[in-house]
Amino acid sequence: MSDVATSPALLSARSLSRDFTTRAAGRFWNAKRVTHAVEDVSLDLYQGRVTAIVGESGSGKSVLARMLARIVTPTSGQLVFDGTTIEPHHKRGLDYAAQVQLVLQDPFASINPIHPIRHCLERPLLIHGATKDDVAALAGAALTRVALDPPERFLDRYPHELSGGQLQRVSIARALCVRPKVLLADEPISMLDVSVRLGILNLLKGLCVSEQLAILYITHDIASARYLADEVIVMYAGQIVERSFGTSLVDEPAHPYTQLLVASVPDPEALDEARVVGQHEKLEVATVGCRFAPRCPHAMEVCRTTSPPNVELAPGHVSRCWLHTREAHASLRVNARRVDEGGDI
Amino acid sequence: MSALERSDESPQVDALAAPVGPAEKEAPSPFVLDVHDFSVDYGVGTQMVTAVRDVNFSLQRSKVLGVAGESGSGKSTLVYAITRLLRAPGVIRSGSAILRVALPDGHGVEEFDLVQADERTLRRVRWSHVSVVLQSALNALNPVLRIRREFDEVLKTHRASMTKTQRRERSVELLRMVGLSEDRLDRFPHELSGGQRQRVMIALALALDPDLVIMDEPTTALDVVTQREIINELNDLRSRFGFAMIFITHDLSLLVELADDIVVMYAGAIVERASALELYDAPRHPYTLGLLNSFPPLHGARQELTGIPGSPPDLAQLPAGCSFSTRCPFVMERCRRESPTLISLDDDHRQVACWLHEPGASATVPVELSQRRRAATSDSDLATAESK
Repeated sequence: MSDVATSPALLSARSLSRDFTTRAAGRFWNAKRVTHAVEDVSLDLYQGRVTAIVGESGSGKSVLARMLARIVTPTSGQLVFDGTTIEPHHKRGLDYAAQVQLVLQDPFASINPIHPIRHCLERPLLIHGATKDDVAALAGAALTRVALDPPERFLDRYPHELSGGQLQRVSIARALCVRPKVLLADEPISMLDVSVRLGILNLLKGLCVSEQLAILYITHDIASARYLADEVIVMYAGQIVERSFGTSLVDEPAHPYTQLLVASVPDPEALDEARVVGQHEKLEVATVGCRFAPRCPHAMEVCRTTSPPNVELAPGHVSRCWLHTREAHASLRVNARRVDEGGDI
Repeated sequence: MSALERSDESPQVDALAAPVGPAEKEAPSPFVLDVHDFSVDYGVGTQMVTAVRDVNFSLQRSKVLGVAGESGSGKSTLVYAITRLLRAPGVIRSGSAILRVALPDGHGVEEFDLVQADERTLRRVRWSHVSVVLQSALNALNPVLRIRREFDEVLKTHRASMTKTQRRERSVELLRMVGLSEDRLDRFPHELSGGQRQRVMIALALALDPDLVIMDEPTTALDVVTQREIINELNDLRSRFGFAMIFITHDLSLLVELADDIVVMYAGAIVERASALELYDAPRHPYTLGLLNSFPPLHGARQELTGIPGSPPDLAQLPAGCSFSTRCPFVMERCRRESPTLISLDDDHRQVACWLHEPGASATVPVELSQRRRAATSDSDLATAESK
């Protein structure tokens, strides 16, 4: 955390959790089953920095983003925005929505197809108090910020006339036009064509620097997180399993899940290297102990019974795994070097 | 292997219609699929859009052909048209697609022109010789049928002589092949995870031991860990059963690992064809270079990548000349006027459609287009090699 302590966090999550209660199938009529979508997640977003959350589908990363946008109410935990603590029962006002904006995954679905682009940009402006005389200019300015230039070419067109990449830019412009401080981008590139993805990533990076936005970038693509983010957080089954700054998480993954994730990415540079082989089949997520234990190739007895601790391996590099503790040293087989580094802490 | 397995069904095959193409060649040709001048349109008349333009390729037995391209590049249309699964308003305007399969007795080959084939021939060819795995297994599997029924129906239709017990045994065997346990047979699709459903689809595709399996983005909807398992399994199955594979995806780095040969499509035409490693090390077409540079690397120093400027083309309003000319960083005057054709390069067997590589072209080939990998990553490669 050394390089970030200069300014306080703009938006922080403090032990956020969210449970969903569903009816348990095939049991008694009133039986309930609780899904822990997000469990005890804490993170900080800073001005001018991109934080990435990486996880597979079902890891709780989207629920987390919606809790940060206060669309989903947390079961427990607090948000701290600009020094103000927000409890789950507090009501969300318009001012919070103006400060924290969400960009969704699928621009084809998130933009109303029966209105021109102008409508989609002017509506949030009017809601947030712009006058009718100003909105046209503001909408145009928002398009310019996302490099849709000249804006007149796009304002009166309909969503079906634009390509996916252009639509995603409109959706970012829509989020930006109310001048938020935090941008939550939930898989902003996964629905786009390969050749335009980098353009969106570079746009986010540029906005982060030029407008000092705090950006949360949610993705399942760990390579794009490495490319874009200042801090990378890996989630598995609702929990943060590893986090680190810069490229160190991908370059030196410490948690077995991160290692599996990195080894699974298609990588032509590493064609000859042996692939990690482990218990890959997606099994039931454990409810006690480490969530990843049923799939983990290094699972030990303690993993199945007790939740692992957070171990700081290097400044800012935290991994939630029993392998990094002193007690586990004896049973280490793989990755001895990395754990030795961490064991000294 | 395949001939052995198929031998017990040969009486049934003989009872069906005779093949359309000329049969019984002397020696079995190594080609399993030969596509010639293939064009596909959507619609007719003034509303017509050409989705696939003059595509030529051939696929050898037991090889993997990767087809890379973005949405709208015509890659899915191409294989749907070849397998005659294309629905109206899709129309095959011209071309031929010759499927060449070994006869069950192991002597000679049988040829089918899939474009000319009638329904009866297609019924014979589909699944037995050519099978397809679609992107969304959830949509491809019937939600109200147990997995067992899916296998049963295929085997009942195409292998009428099999008894119930044999069908059951074969289903279990197929599931084991893709790493699923027997009890999955009695599940419904919704009870399986995305990866398991895709495995069921692969097992179904292999049920009749086909010569050619077409995979249309089979792993796009899955997370990377599951994708890795499925790719490993496909490699394994392919080396055991020797089927040829056409693998469609937009993920070029995945293809480099998986495929023997890669064709890159843009706006309905093949712009480059090369072996996987050649394509990765030294792409010849600017679009291929752009695609390769669009994937952030997992190694090396973090540096700004640019991707490809502009948007994917609208097939109804393609630019004059080369369809990539509006986005190409190396565009020349000629590119805006004339459309390049696929030419073979002198130094090797690869093909590219780009004026930069035209023999006697005045322009010099940019260094990125001759040795991308060395130009871009030689420093970081050295660094990682030393650290190891």
